[in-house]
Amino acid sequence: MTGNKQKSRIKCKGVVKGVAVGEALVMKKSFAFMGDVDMATSEIIAREHEHFGRKIAGKIMIYPETKGSSGGCVVLMSLAKLGLQPAAIINLKMADYNLVEGAILAGIPLGCLPERDPSEMVRTGDRVKLDTNNGWIELIGIGDNKEIR
Amino acid sequence: MPIRGDDAPLRGSYKGEYMYLSKEEEKNLSGEEGEPVAEAIDYMVKFGEAFDAERLLDIVYVHYPAEMAIYEGSVEDLMEYAEKRPKVSVPTTSSTLCMDLDQWKAMGVPEELAIKQMEVVRPHKEMGVLGTYTCTPYLLGFIPPKDSYIASVESSAVIYYNSMLGAWTNRGGILTKYSAVCGKYPEMGYMLKENRKGTHLFRIEVEKENLQTFLDYNLLGIHVGSIVGSEVPVLDGIRTQKQEHIIGMGATLATSGSVSLYHIPGITAEANTIEDAFHGDCPKETFMVDVNDLNEARNQVSTIDGGKVDFVLLGCPHYNLGQLRGVALMLQGKKIAKGVKLWVCTNRMTKLAAEWQGYAQMIEAAGGRVVCDSCPVESHMRSSTCKSYGLPTPYIEVMATESGKMARYVKDLIGCETLLIDRKNCIKAALKGRWGE
Repeated sequence: MTGNKQKSRIKCKGVVKGVAVGEALVMKKSFAFMGDVDMATSEIIAREHEHFGRKIAGKIMIYPETKGSSGGCVVLMSLAKLGLQPAAIINLKMADYNLVEGAILAGIPLGCLPERDPSEMVRTGDRVKLDTNNGWIELIGIGDNKEIR
Repeated sequence: MPIRGDDAPLRGSYKGEYMYLSKEEEKNLSGEEGEPVAEAIDYMVKFGEAFDAERLLDIVYVHYPAEMAIYEGSVEDLMEYAEKRPKVSVPTTSSTLCMDLDQWKAMGVPEELAIKQMEVVRPHKEMGVLGTYTCTPYLLGFIPPKDSYIASVESSAVIYYNSMLGAWTNRGGILTKYSAVCGKYPEMGYMLKENRKGTHLFRIEVEKENLQTFLDYNLLGIHVGSIVGSEVPVLDGIRTQKQEHIIGMGATLATSGSVSLYHIPGITAEANTIEDAFHGDCPKETFMVDVNDLNEARNQVSTIDGGKVDFVLLGCPHYNLGQLRGVALMLQGKKIAKGVKLWVCTNRMTKLAAEWQGYAQMIEAAGGRVVCDSCPVESHMRSSTCKSYGLPTPYIEVMATESGKMARYVKDLIGCETLLIDRKNCIKAALKGRWGE
């Protein structure tokens, strides 16, 4: 079992400290909190987005990096006021200074720079755990891989 | 190279972690200068520790994230914060609000939203935040010295300060208000010289006739930004002399990517040559850019090629007096089509100047509106706000604009179609109520 555990655990840098468990939302492209998401519902509204129509609330978002205007952290904060914030955020590249400001105020664990790309083992819908106090991501449950809203 | 704000010897660590504070910072953290300063420094330490910053820097200017009523809890948080009587410690301008403070009624802003938004003016004044409410504070003369440290929100201002003026800042967010109060920012990101070197080289091989307008430079910014993401592009082969080209290109670089700094050898502040721009190193990658890339960039954000237009937007980023004059002259003696709204966005100081010179009246006589303090994407027209206040969505059907940033955001946030055409054609579309055949 220990061997398996090691395999499904990936080290990462902990930026905003905390622990979160949730359903993974894995994205291939960079994400803009300003522009890609509806701040009243948390629904992804960018027409060309692979997860168009899905909600980010409660999800563990895994995506390369944050892009777009500096209003992004305000959108994150606004979602948090409604209880619609993601459970955690994992960026493949260095975390965005702007977004981290929102994550600190909203208390959203945020990790970045994983040793391996989590999308090698995690699919959207799987359950993952992020522990930024100790700096790792773990796959803890396989989703049925049907497109869960 | 900037001089460190505080030469005090490193003494001890903060809570056993790795961030070092000067004697004065430790005193302020313990509350000697009052609770707001202590809280502000505490946030800066938390923020710095998240990114392994070693210490705090003294900043000389802040562009503050004005609280917008369209964001849940934002104004309420400010009102609560203001009760602690915080004061800014450095010159501090403010970014845009979600409406024009004077014309909101005529513009269809719901009264409840308007009343909430107007509440911020008083606490801002009490804190010492200047009521500029603009995305282009540098056009109002807030130009910190080269190599100074600042803290700025508004990605189009951040990129202008970093690149054109060489004033060092990261892409600030809501913690920027605490920077204003304590006058500090952690030493990290673009506050470190090594992170300011160019990473990718773009050789611009677009013919002169295809790189002339504000729109053309917007398209260039969209293209380059979508390739480099958050890195530092170096653009070789541009010889513009126009400030508005630089403003437009920067705004789109920060929209399609999250670029905060770029270099144009011979034009921007920190690079006289390509070697300067890369700090003597080699680019990670090199790209050739031709006119096809600009056409593709247009297709990325323009959803339609022509047809009916019901909204025309100029002034993203906020126009200066010269640009307002240009629009006024184009509209002189003409009338925009019935049912079409034309907004020309600027800040209220520039509008006052435009009124004094008669340009604002010329735009209004043609049926346009000179809008202050805000812009469409930050307004009640945003579909999430429309839903909350029972307004129709999408609030407008087709927006014509010369701004890549505005087009990119409104197509999803307002949910309208977008038509990206240059300024002259925007005016034509406003006069006819349609564009193309």
